[in-house]
Amino acid sequence: MSKVIIIGAGPAGLSAAITIAENGLEVLVLDEYMIAGGRLLGQLYEEPNGNWWNGIKESKQLYEKALDLGVKIQLHTAVSNLEKIDSSWVIYTATETYYTSHLLLATGATEAPLPIPGWTLPGVMSVGAAQVMTNVHRVKPGNRGVIIGVNVLSSAIAMELQLAGVQVACITLPKMSLVTKESGNPMNVMNSLLHVSHMAPSAFVKFGSKLMKIEFMKKMGITFFPKNGVKMWDIPIMLRKAVIEIYGDNEVEGVTMATISPTGEVIPGTEEKVQADFVCIAGGLYPLAELAAVAGCPFYHIEELGGYVPLHNERMETALEGLYVAGNITGIEGAKVAASQGVAAGLSIVHNNGTSNQEQNIKKAIQDIEHTRDNAFIQFHPAVKEGKQKLQHYWEEHLNTVKDMVGN
Amino acid sequence: MIICRCEEVTYKQLTETAEKYKCASRELKLRTRAGMGYCGGRTCRTMVDNIAHSFNGNERDCAQLTLKYQPPIRPISFGDLGDVKK
Ligand SMILES: Cc1cc2nc3c(=O)[nH]c(=O)nc-3n(C[C@H](O)[C@H](O)[C@H](O)COP(=O)(O)OP(=O)(O)OC[C@H]3O[C@@H](n4cnc5c(N)ncnc54)[C@H](O)[C@@H]3O)c2cc1C
Ligand code: FES
Repeated sequence: MSKVIIIGAGPAGLSAAITIAENGLEVLVLDEYMIAGGRLLGQLYEEPNGNWWNGIKESKQLYEKALDLGVKIQLHTAVSNLEKIDSSWVIYTATETYYTSHLLLATGATEAPLPIPGWTLPGVMSVGAAQVMTNVHRVKPGNRGVIIGVNVLSSAIAMELQLAGVQVACITLPKMSLVTKESGNPMNVMNSLLHVSHMAPSAFVKFGSKLMKIEFMKKMGITFFPKNGVKMWDIPIMLRKAVIEIYGDNEVEGVTMATISPTGEVIPGTEEKVQADFVCIAGGLYPLAELAAVAGCPFYHIEELGGYVPLHNERMETALEGLYVAGNITGIEGAKVAASQGVAAGLSIVHNNGTSNQEQNIKKAIQDIEHTRDNAFIQFHPAVKEGKQKLQHYWEEHLNTVKDMVGN
Repeated sequence: MIICRCEEVTYKQLTETAEKYKCASRELKLRTRAGMGYCGGRTCRTMVDNIAHSFNGNERDCAQLTLKYQPPIRPISFGDLGDVKK
C-alpha cells in the first residue's frame, strides 16, 4: 500500500520513478508495451548543436537507472480501469488489481488520424507507426512512401526513414474536408511551420529559414510556394498539392495528387498519380488521457496543448487527491520537457507522502520545466506557453470554486 | 470514405446527420454509432468530434470532454473478465 504506482514507462514516468526511488519510496511502474521508453524509443535526430538524440539509448539509460534504484517495472501490462475507493486508487489490469494512495498517470500522447479516400487500405499507417517499425523494430515499412500531413513530427520522421534507406516520395497535404480543415489548408500549415522552424531539428531549421529569407513569400503567404515543393534532405515538401485518394487493389499502390489553391481547394484537371507502396498519415498528436477521464478529472480543451488535458497545477497535481500527471498527457511537447515534468511530479509525491519536505526542490523543478521548455529544440505548437498559462488560470478558478464550496 | 472503422460509418453519413441535427458530438455518436465500436472510439473519436463541431456552430465547450471514455479502456478477454481460472 505504501508503494507509489506510475502508469507509463516513457521519459515522464521513468524520470518520476527515479526521483521517487532516490527519495527512498517504493515504486511500481506499469506499461502496456514490451519495452520501456514510451515514444522516446522511436526518436532519432540531430540536435542543432550537432549532437545526435538517440531515443533507444536514452530510454535504456533511464530504464537501467530506475532498475538500479530498485524500481519495479512491469511491462506487457495494460491498465484498463481506475477508481477511487475510500482513500486509495484502485488500478485494474486484465489479470491483477493494484492499490496505492499516490498514482501518477504518464500515459503520453497519441496520433490523430486524417481521413482520405482509400485510407483503410493495407499499407496505410500512422507516421508514428512507421517510426516505430523503422527505429524500434528495424523493419522497413516499405520501399517508397508518401507522407500525408506536413508538421514537425512528419518532417522529423521523414528524415529518420531516409536515414534507414526508405525512400520518401514526398510530404504533402491531405485533401481538405471537415476533418482536415487545418492540416489541409496550405496557408495555415505554412504559418505553423514558420513559427516552429527556429526550434526544430537542424535540417528543418534550414527549410524554415530558406522560406523566411524570402520576405515576399511570407507576405504573399503561400501563393508563390513552388508547385513542386521545397526540398528538405531531397524530400519535396509540397504545400500546394494534396492527396485526394490513396489507390490500390488489395494494398497501397500509390496516391492521386492534385494542385490546390492557397486556401486548399482542389484545382480540377491537375490530378497526377504517384507510385508508393506505403502511405503515412500524420494528423498530429493529442494527449492520451483516457485514464484521467475514467478517474473523473475535470478536463479543458486547449488547442495549444494539443486537445483535451486533465486539469492540473504546476506541481503536477490534478484536482483529485493522490492523482498526478506528467509528460505528454499534460500537453504535447518534446521528451526532455516530459522528463522534467516527471521529476516535478515525483518530488510532489515524495512531499505529499510526508516522506520529506521537498518545497525547495519542487520550486526548482518547476523552474527547470520552464527552462527546458524555453530551450526545447522540438516544439509541437508555437504557443505552448500560452496554453500552459490558460491551464494555470483554469486551475486558479478551480481553487476559488473549491474555496467557495468550503466557505458555504 | 469510412470514418469509423469498427462500425463502418462513412464521412457522408456523419456530415449529413450533423448537418440535419446540428447536434453535439455525443448525439452524433448515438445517432450513427460512430465511436461505439470495439476500439472504444480510439480511432475515430477526434474525427467525430470535429465533424459535430463544424456543424453545431457552438463555441466548443472547452471545460468538458465531449465524448466520454468508458472502462475498460483496453480490451480484456472474457476469460479474464469473468475471472475464469484455467
Ligand atoms: C508517434 C509519436 C511520435 C513522437 N515523436 C517525437 C519525436 O520525434 N520527438 C519528440 O521530442 N517527441 C516526439 N513525440 C512526443 C512524445 O510524446 C514525447 O517526446 C515523450 O515521449 C512523451 O513522454 P511521456 O513519458 O509523456 O509519454 P510516452 O513516451 O508516450 O510514454 C507513455 C507510456 O505509457 C504507456 N501507456 C499508455 N497508456 C497505458 C495504459 N492504459 N496502460 C499501460 N501503459 C500505458 C505507453 O505504452 C507508453 O510507454 C512523439 C509522440 C508520438 C505519439
Ligand atoms: S473506429 Fe470508431 S469505434 Fe472504432
